Amino acid sequence: MDSFTNSLGVNQQSKKQAWMDKIRQEAAVEQARALIDKVSDNCFEKCIPKPGSSLTSGETTCINQCMEKYMSAWNVVSRKYIERIQARDV
Amino acid sequence: MDSSSGSEFNLTDLSQNDKKELQQFVSNEAQKAKIQSTVHYLTDMCWKRCVTSKISSGQMDSSERPCMENCVDRYIDSQMAVLKHLEQLRG
Repeated sequence: MDSFTNSLGVNQQSKKQAWMDKIRQEAAVEQARALIDKVSDNCFEKCIPKPGSSLTSGETTCINQCMEKYMSAWNVVSRKYIERIQARDV
Repeated sequence: MDSSSGSEFNLTDLSQNDKKELQQFVSNEAQKAKIQSTVHYLTDMCWKRCVTSKISSGQMDSSERPCMENCVDRYIDSQMAVLKHLEQLRG
């Protein structure tokens, strides 16, 4: 721990940590925002072909299922894509 | 950016090692963000191709899942085919 704190004051060290946490958090927020955008687009397209005066319960169910399905699709794509780019690196 | 203010994280005070660590951190985060943005793009495009019937559950069905996987694989294959052909054209 000494060599760790020597290079940078304890105060500066914790600021560095806070700065990194902030970057990570901003990335996570941006990531969630992008996913919500895509879910809204694709599920609106799929579930509300003819918008009525209010959301029907059928449309609401569709939106909820679509959202879960889209997130599971995202995970499938993510796994596959990472598998491919890692195979290329080796 | 104001580096003289005491409450701010001061980059000029960093040791060589810390600078390296931060550079590595930023470049890792940038790479992660780039991968995630490609995953967003691919999910959107492949979803439009593979999920063509009415939504009837929150799960991918037995034809949609392999379709999504093939979509990713073939997209990357196409990308590589383009690069390969480009190389041939350049001689």
